[in-house]
Amino acid sequence: MELLNLNIPSWSDLAYWRPEAILCGTFLAALLGDLIGRGRRPAISFVISVFGLITAGAYSVAAVLHGGAAHTIMGDLIIVDGMAAFFRLLFILAGLATVLFSWTAEEIMGRKRENKAEFFYLTVLMTAAMMVMAEARDLLMLFLSMEAVGLVSYVMAGYMRTSLRSTEASLKYVIFGAVSSGIMLYGLSLLYGMTGAMTFDGIRAGLLAGEVNGLSLLITVILILAGMSYKIAAVPFHFWCPDVYEGAPTPVAAIFSVGPKAAGFALMIRFFYTTLAAGADPSASAPLIELINWPLLMAVIAAVTMTYGNLVALRQLNVKRMLAYSSISHVGYLLMGFVLLTDAGLAAILFYLAVYTLMNLGAFFVVVALNNHIKSEELDDYAGIGFRAPWLGTMMVIFLASLTGVPPFAGFAGKFYVFTAVMDRQWFWLAILAALNSVVGLYYYFRVVKAMFLTRPAEGADTTPLKIHWLQYTVLAVLAVPTLVLGFWFGPLKVLADQAIGLLSTGM
Amino acid sequence: MTAADLIFYALAALTLVPALWVVGSPNIVHAGFNLLLTLLGVAGLFAWLGADFLAVAQLMVYIGGVLVLVLFTVMMTRVPQAREADSGAKRAILPGLFALGVLVVLLLVATGTHWGAPALTDAQPTTAEIGANFMTSYIFPFEYVSLVLLAALIGAAILIREPRGTEEDDEAGAAVETAEEEVQS
Amino acid sequence: MNILTEMIRGWFGPDKMSDQMVLILSAVTLATLMFVVMALCALVFTWMERKVAGFIQSRYGPMRTGRWHGWAQAVADMLKILGKEDIIPAEANRFFFSFAPILVLLGSLLAWAAIPWSPNFVSADLDLGLFYIFAVSSLAIIGILMAGWASNNKWALYGAARGAAQMVSYEIPLALACIPVVMYTGSLNTSDIVIAQQGGVLNWFLFRNPFIFVAFFMYFIASIAETNRGPFDMPETESELVAGYHTEYTGMRFAFFFLSEYANLFLVSLIASMVFLGGWWSPIPGTDFAPALTFIIKGVLMVLLNMWVRWTLPRVRVDQLMYLCWKVMIPVSLTCVVGAGLWMMWRGQA
Repeated sequence: MELLNLNIPSWSDLAYWRPEAILCGTFLAALLGDLIGRGRRPAISFVISVFGLITAGAYSVAAVLHGGAAHTIMGDLIIVDGMAAFFRLLFILAGLATVLFSWTAEEIMGRKRENKAEFFYLTVLMTAAMMVMAEARDLLMLFLSMEAVGLVSYVMAGYMRTSLRSTEASLKYVIFGAVSSGIMLYGLSLLYGMTGAMTFDGIRAGLLAGEVNGLSLLITVILILAGMSYKIAAVPFHFWCPDVYEGAPTPVAAIFSVGPKAAGFALMIRFFYTTLAAGADPSASAPLIELINWPLLMAVIAAVTMTYGNLVALRQLNVKRMLAYSSISHVGYLLMGFVLLTDAGLAAILFYLAVYTLMNLGAFFVVVALNNHIKSEELDDYAGIGFRAPWLGTMMVIFLASLTGVPPFAGFAGKFYVFTAVMDRQWFWLAILAALNSVVGLYYYFRVVKAMFLTRPAEGADTTPLKIHWLQYTVLAVLAVPTLVLGFWFGPLKVLADQAIGLLSTGM
Repeated sequence: MTAADLIFYALAALTLVPALWVVGSPNIVHAGFNLLLTLLGVAGLFAWLGADFLAVAQLMVYIGGVLVLVLFTVMMTRVPQAREADSGAKRAILPGLFALGVLVVLLLVATGTHWGAPALTDAQPTTAEIGANFMTSYIFPFEYVSLVLLAALIGAAILIREPRGTEEDDEAGAAVETAEEEVQS
Repeated sequence: MNILTEMIRGWFGPDKMSDQMVLILSAVTLATLMFVVMALCALVFTWMERKVAGFIQSRYGPMRTGRWHGWAQAVADMLKILGKEDIIPAEANRFFFSFAPILVLLGSLLAWAAIPWSPNFVSADLDLGLFYIFAVSSLAIIGILMAGWASNNKWALYGAARGAAQMVSYEIPLALACIPVVMYTGSLNTSDIVIAQQGGVLNWFLFRNPFIFVAFFMYFIASIAETNRGPFDMPETESELVAGYHTEYTGMRFAFFFLSEYANLFLVSLIASMVFLGGWWSPIPGTDFAPALTFIIKGVLMVLLNMWVRWTLPRVRVDQLMYLCWKVMIPVSLTCVVGAGLWMMWRGQA
């Protein structure tokens, strides 16, 4: 038996993979802690999870400050580079905020806090899995990491077992996930058949070397896009999104709306940028992009996604559902950065994702905080809430204004960069359409504000002030302050995003 | 046409004909049993391509695990020889046309592509090499999968856990369910 | 296999037949041979089971048919079964009802192919031997489910469901218990596993490593459940389910189930002797005069042990059955795998 030419992995690689390794360890430790507490002491898992996330976050920050070269981890399949470092921070922020906020969320912990602590360590594992998604550079890891995030998501969506809606959400998520994974796998198999390579770099080399049939490549790209569109909820693979967000516990919907989406974008950036776009030699790959008319394909998907999300959001009376459709429309804006696969466009996506994470998490968390008290997410029940919880209302205004893209808030800066990236290359119709869409957004976001501050509650309704837990205020403040500050002082984040794309490693 | 070609077409027929039955059968149990033949056909195709480990794993996982659980669930949720369920065969015109279109496009792709993947030349046993690769080049995904499966196990336990109050005596049930999940994965 | 192909070539004269024809002929011959051996086993074991049961319950068991200790009783029973009317219940699904027994028997027959009877006689010397045996056994589970469903009988359905749940669950400790041995041999090939145990009783895997010693008992318990025999005969508990999944079967079709039950019993016993008890090697080094006979004797002893357990222990409940599998046997088997690995790191391959 001849077993030469094997690539013996080096354990020292793990030093560059500390945040992820810590999170995996945290997952196991929190699981053990839950077992030791016989499932009755969720505090154990909660504390371990928070501690692990903070430690991993500290290492991630250190890695970003340190900068440095890209490293592959334990073989050839994943890589830690500038972009991975950027997304790490994003995911840890989302994971930590969700864990902290869920501690006081009734939907997760149960009315009498009877639920156990699985939610916390599942979130930790999901955070780690999303990081791996942003690091995958091989078809095998691409699929595996997507399935890992998916599996955890299915469970989290159905976390309220006694709620029929939650179970239905979980089931819908599973079925859509299975179908889109199947479609994507078919595309991946075609890609392997064409190039004989599994790594993104190998695929790129194979595509450039061989004689590529335009139709085959187009179909392959569409099939793969189907799987990824499901992850980011782009039209026409968005059907699960409103139902899952509405049915799942709101903190889960919050992390779904930012985490897996950002991870999906990270995967798309690395995959399509490496296989199709510039990389080292811009002149070489132009034919590939033109062969399948990539810009038009992406522009159409982006335009349809943002318009559809916005138009349907207009008619929603449930705030969670409205936020779900709004998140679809934001995917449309984000996809605009993909149209040209240029560095500027991709950096704009990263910037927008960071901002979007802050504001969308914030908006969802306000819904969680209110749900604890009024047990409803219907717009009508929000009447006059602004006077019962002024601070909460103010923060909601900040988040919603930022989501709209009104100038002094961070959302404006995000939109600005994405729009410029498109207009630089004369895609004016797309930019104009996006601007029109933002105006439509103004209407439905401010309907919530109107309900909270300008509508009188129904006769005889409860008007006592709401007591919001201090932990919730803290998390919301942590999200709201950057949403404000990044609106006029966005330089550092922009530099970080540019660096991340600049360090996006190709051909290692 | 050589003998190898004949075997291929026989296996392909074994995979596809029951698969059509699975999709079209109005009786869900019949569909399940036909899935057995389809899965056997796929295992046969793997063996025909020289992927012996994959072929046997297909038998073990899909027939011994997934299919058994599918049938088990179907039988537990319906009375024996249940009334025929509506499989939607009557509303199949538009989806059928769509599927036909997809078929045409995929055939164009299959015939038009310049395939670059290396063709298999000889059928050596693959098990030892697969094992060695799991421990070296592919150790990362190998370990990663174990973590994912653990999460799946815990997830299954969460989803079927009884509401609080009867938690002491539901543990056996939870074990069965996680087992099913494990087999499936 | 090689001997057989040579023999076939010899009979028909050289160059008369193509290689493929010889291969097909020898395969058919082998399959027939295995089937005959299986049928013989079933005959011998039914008689043996009755005698063992009698002995344990302080009675004689069959004594009359064929004069000497009723040796012909099993033959008479078999003839009676074959002579019975072949009934298919009116409401049964005819196709699946007839197909199920074949599938069950096929599962056992295919698994028999990879058994190494002696150093130069293995029907199919597969690189994946052990894995293959476990994989094809799962066909029988589908057959049982099919039989239970097609009978259109509530007892049959319950029996089938129980059988499937039990066999799917116990497959896991069964396979896990064999993994330490595979770790030692570095091969799944059944012949390689036996060859690695050359050199007397102390080189049998059973005594090579304390963890494998424990694993052997895990294997034995799981194998009882896997063959649906007492104390784990939940699928056919006569006091609750009449006869379980084969309640509606008569005549030849019933004989198929009966045959496969004893074939499976012998199969798991032979695997035990092959994996843990040195296969065809005799206990004392240098006395390997009749490898095949040694192997079969070990198998028959395991069968006797199995019967002893069946007639001694009371039947467990379904929940106890599942508890035992998931909360006791799988953790212990996993521990055995890890422990055997650590032991190997400490003591080397010896």
